[in-house]
Amino acid sequence: MSRIGIFICWCGENIARNVDVERAAAEVADLPGVVCSVAYKYMCSDPGQSLMRQKIVSERLTGVVVASCSPHMHLRTFRKAAAMAGLNPYLVEMANIREHCSWVHHDRQQATTKAVELIRMSVAKVRANAALQPISIPITRRALVIGGGVAGIQAALDIADSGREVVLVEREPSIGGKMAGLSETFPTLDCSQCILTPRMVDVGQHPNIRLYTYSEVEGVEGYVGNFKVTVRKKARYVDMDACTGCGQCWNACPSKKNLSEFDYQMGNRTAIYVPFPQAVPARPVIDRDACLHFLKGKCGICAKKCAANAVKFDDQDEVITEEVGAIVVATGFKLYSIDRDQASSKLAGYGEYGYGQYPDVVDALQFERIVSASGPTGGEIRRPSDGQQPKSVVFISCVGSRDNAKGISYCSKICCMYTAKHTMLYKHKVHDGQAHVFYMDIRSGGKNYDEFVRRAIEQDGAHYHRGRVSKITQENGKLIVRGVDTLVGEPLTIEADLVVLASAMQPAGGATELAQKLNVGYDEFGFLSESHPKLRPVETNAAGVFVCGACQGPKDIPESVAQASAAAGKVLVMFSNEQLSREPEVARINETNCAACFACVRACPYNAIERAEVRDRKGQLVKRTARVNPGLCMGCGTCVAICPSKSADLEGFTEQQVYAMVESLV
Amino acid sequence: MSEQQPFEPKIVAYVCNWCTYLGADLAGTNRLEYPANVRIIRLPCTGRIDFNLIIKAFEMGADAVLVSGCHPGDCHYTAGNFHARRRWILFRQLLETMGIDTRRVHFSWISAAEGKKFQQFVTEITETARALGPYQAYREICQAE
Amino acid sequence: MQNELRQTCRRLLEEGTVQVVIGYGDGTDGQTFPTFVTRRDDVERLVWNERCYTNLATYLTRPEILALGKAAICVKACDERALVVLEKESQIDRSQLVVIGLACSTDGVKQPKCEACENRTPRWANVTIGDAAGETAKTTADRYAALQAFMQKTPDERMAYWKTELARCVKCYACRQVCPLCYCRQCIADKNRPVVISTSATLKGSFAWQITRAFHLGGRCIGCDECTRVCPAGIDLRLLNLSLARAAEENFNFRAGVDVEAEPIVGAYSERDREEFIR
Ligand SMILES: Cc1cc2nc3c(=O)[nH]c(=O)nc-3n(C[C@H](O)[C@H](O)[C@H](O)COP(=O)(O)OP(=O)(O)OC[C@H]3O[C@@H](n4cnc5c(N)ncnc54)[C@H](O)[C@@H]3O)c2cc1C
Ligand code: SF4
Ligand code: SF4
Ligand code: SF4
Ligand code: SF4
Ligand code: SF4
Repeated sequence: MSRIGIFICWCGENIARNVDVERAAAEVADLPGVVCSVAYKYMCSDPGQSLMRQKIVSERLTGVVVASCSPHMHLRTFRKAAAMAGLNPYLVEMANIREHCSWVHHDRQQATTKAVELIRMSVAKVRANAALQPISIPITRRALVIGGGVAGIQAALDIADSGREVVLVEREPSIGGKMAGLSETFPTLDCSQCILTPRMVDVGQHPNIRLYTYSEVEGVEGYVGNFKVTVRKKARYVDMDACTGCGQCWNACPSKKNLSEFDYQMGNRTAIYVPFPQAVPARPVIDRDACLHFLKGKCGICAKKCAANAVKFDDQDEVITEEVGAIVVATGFKLYSIDRDQASSKLAGYGEYGYGQYPDVVDALQFERIVSASGPTGGEIRRPSDGQQPKSVVFISCVGSRDNAKGISYCSKICCMYTAKHTMLYKHKVHDGQAHVFYMDIRSGGKNYDEFVRRAIEQDGAHYHRGRVSKITQENGKLIVRGVDTLVGEPLTIEADLVVLASAMQPAGGATELAQKLNVGYDEFGFLSESHPKLRPVETNAAGVFVCGACQGPKDIPESVAQASAAAGKVLVMFSNEQLSREPEVARINETNCAACFACVRACPYNAIERAEVRDRKGQLVKRTARVNPGLCMGCGTCVAICPSKSADLEGFTEQQVYAMVESLV
Repeated sequence: MSEQQPFEPKIVAYVCNWCTYLGADLAGTNRLEYPANVRIIRLPCTGRIDFNLIIKAFEMGADAVLVSGCHPGDCHYTAGNFHARRRWILFRQLLETMGIDTRRVHFSWISAAEGKKFQQFVTEITETARALGPYQAYREICQAE
Repeated sequence: MQNELRQTCRRLLEEGTVQVVIGYGDGTDGQTFPTFVTRRDDVERLVWNERCYTNLATYLTRPEILALGKAAICVKACDERALVVLEKESQIDRSQLVVIGLACSTDGVKQPKCEACENRTPRWANVTIGDAAGETAKTTADRYAALQAFMQKTPDERMAYWKTELARCVKCYACRQVCPLCYCRQCIADKNRPVVISTSATLKGSFAWQITRAFHLGGRCIGCDECTRVCPAGIDLRLLNLSLARAAEENFNFRAGVDVEAEPIVGAYSERDREEFIR
């Protein structure tokens, strides 16, 4: 038999003005199961709460209804108070007689009648409430970070520095991401490698970081706190433990004319190679497609040169399983390819700019290599076609971005800034050169950002033309750039020696496939979706999976790093307890009644329901059933509505509770 | 109810916790007055709101039912409202075929910021229900032997 | 055809491919009855004639039948659609089932639903027996003609119609029992905590029951019309089924059990589903 206490709040005059609280208290006192019904000035105040606590004890209450403000305001407060008095907090319900009643109905008679009905509903509900215990899930306090760009590096270091183990998976032979190939960085113009490489070394040497490079995540099983991840380590043909990184092998390798990925095809590397001198790990990998041993079956010079006997031509892919409790995705971006992979994408490309056709039309990342001291030209600005120093360079911004016709509507955000940077770096190296920029708008919000762009224009004399370029052709070794200057309102043709395209930032290849493995949502462009754009910017809808860096949307380094630290923070909050405690208001399935139609499995927005089998002691299949993983269920109740037989139900909003409420409305 | 009193329709509103319930809270905070006929039942998500609840409300003598939640794309649980919308499309067709008065079954998206919309919509459906009079047909169904 | 059917079933049983054949047998009053043949010599009990209108798919989810072992089932083209839905809903394992398709000749089964029949030859069967006259071109309008006619009534007239009709419902649940897709272990109508559908055979209960039954079959009902055929009160449940079938076709371009590839619309959604009725 239930013993319910009703506590009606005056909220000073807020409720009492329009609701006759004393009359209401009297009217609900006789409802079945109600043993006490009192009105009090301020229920949420200390004396109000202690009144409730006293009554819980003295009246041996089994349920409480507080009729006051919105549950969004104080449900937690009252549940906590009840718990202090020894009553299970989930046996407390509220009736919203302020926001939904006294504040919106001025007729005292009507408002009081409505208040009484709202209380009656809550009493009906609470009689069907069950004492719930918070769900606790054990967690493996290790994290997986996918992607070793600056964002992944930051997240991994933050987590590892706090004493937790991190598994970092990077698919290239070295960590570093795009930043490792940048020259100098806006807005301070500090050298990119100088700030990044020490962090890379930290990762390589950190006792808490297990680094898998040249590796990819193949499968993800499990759920928050308890993921099982399979990682494929691609055959590297070099024994990582034996190799000392001395360089004998790559210095001796006869296959030298292979385009360097790190230099974006503008330089060469050997078949056995490290992508760049500061690579972490500083261990080479053999490119099977370039290696003479694999191509012709003879050579093996590297193996002969290696004093450590580290070259292993019979190396195989290795599949490793790692158990982790949280996953941070930091797979970064790629540039809109302009013409290269248009066939496989629905984007229109920019054939009119001649990229891939004219060697002196390069993209922005290539230009970073051209100005970089470690680049193919040793930092001297020379154009790819003939190695001449370009005296006139045209930079085109928004190539692909903000262009619905080309399939990308968003702004890539960083191009305005790096284009300004490029003009400055160019001017600092080619004093008699002239930089031209075609732009749509200049977007330079951020600390010291606009000042930076102004400096490019005012001190370093870049010519900015507002307008688009319609066509680029090549005549007598010059690139003829035809566009308009919309501010002047006239067509503009510039003869350039080099053209740099600031093409749009897109999610890295394979990002959506990875997202599917992780059950993380993504937008139409493939950027991973955060759980809430404002309040949960690094969480995703897959519990225990976080995002940071450019895989979530275009970003510069400071933002990527900030987000990475935020994601690490979220992981560490999770890891601060041995168990994960979750709200018990989750779905459950009556496995005896479940018909195993799995409509709920299809419908659940969180993939929280699995197909399960019930077996007897001999292992014989008794029946199949849907089963909710309380670690994943968020309590939306979609499964309840979808289930025809109502074998699914939702704690806190059970069928029993909800029907009791409706039925109280006679 | 005595003869002279105007008819006061009974309206049951099933709303989601995160948008429409908060929209109604906002209407309160802004003191936006509306008729006192509506009884709100708070559920986590429109995804949880089953058609049987609509029928139940009519059985309990409701003259109109409102089902309301987050706008598409804003669902707290990402997709509960999309599932709900699909069910409503089918359910409304069934109501039509049964001859159940669809002018008494309302669906809306009202966000946490739309206190004004909540006020206006509830006022409007109360007026509609008042004009339609008591839902006699369903009451007869419930009273028949 | 009947002989061919018996031969096939004998072989299936003899070879041990299946342990039971679910087919039709002759009853005493000129009706046919679902027959479960487990011994090869009993195949003579199997018949195929114009009175074989039952949709046998409903037996595939019954525990007592499942207990007999691997089954072969006789289906007409219309019944076959139920198998497609059952498989999508994980109720049957197609690889554990032999489907014997029976093609309806023009003078075959005669039921109201045959008017709108579109194809007479099962498409999904392991063995097909008989030859049908081929496909009959039917339009969406043909399919929903009965509903279309009914919807000419005003809403009040429709309400009045259902009040009279459903007043006769005795809550025998034959409509549920016969339906191949009402395979729930515990039907919502039998639920008591809470009572969602009033259990008494009052008009209130019958309304709630039929609204629920029809809605639960929305996007799933394959239109075999068995529910209507068996209703002792002669209630035209088909109209309710058709209205949801049409809604599914019009809104989601979906017809239950027709396309083996199509994913169920229940438990799915599209961001572009219509919503002009939502304020
Ligand atoms: C031309 C140019 C100039 C720029 N200049 C500046 C500047 O001056 N200042 C500034 O602040 N920002 C600059 N940026 C922006 C900066 O490059 C990015 O903000 C930063 O690199 C984002 O870091 P990230 O770690 O998110 O991504 P990335 O650097 O792209 O790193 C992602 C890493 O993940 C790996 N990866 C991808 N997919 C997988 C997978 N499936 N499995 C495992 N590993 C995977 C990649 O190999 C890569 O190592 C510039 C960008 C461009 C294009
Ligand atoms: S929808 Fe219901 S019956 Fe079907 S699998 Fe889910 S819980 Fe079981
Ligand atoms: S309540 Fe929502 S999140 Fe939980 S299992 Fe059901 S559908 Fe999934
Ligand atoms: S009416 Fe609904 S709950 Fe009952 S058996 Fe059929 S599908 Fe299941
Ligand atoms: S509801 Fe009726 S017509 Fe539809 S599948 Fe079931 S028995 Fe056949
Ligand atoms: S078969 Fe007819 S009488 Fe029996 S429950 Fe169904 S509708 Fe009612």
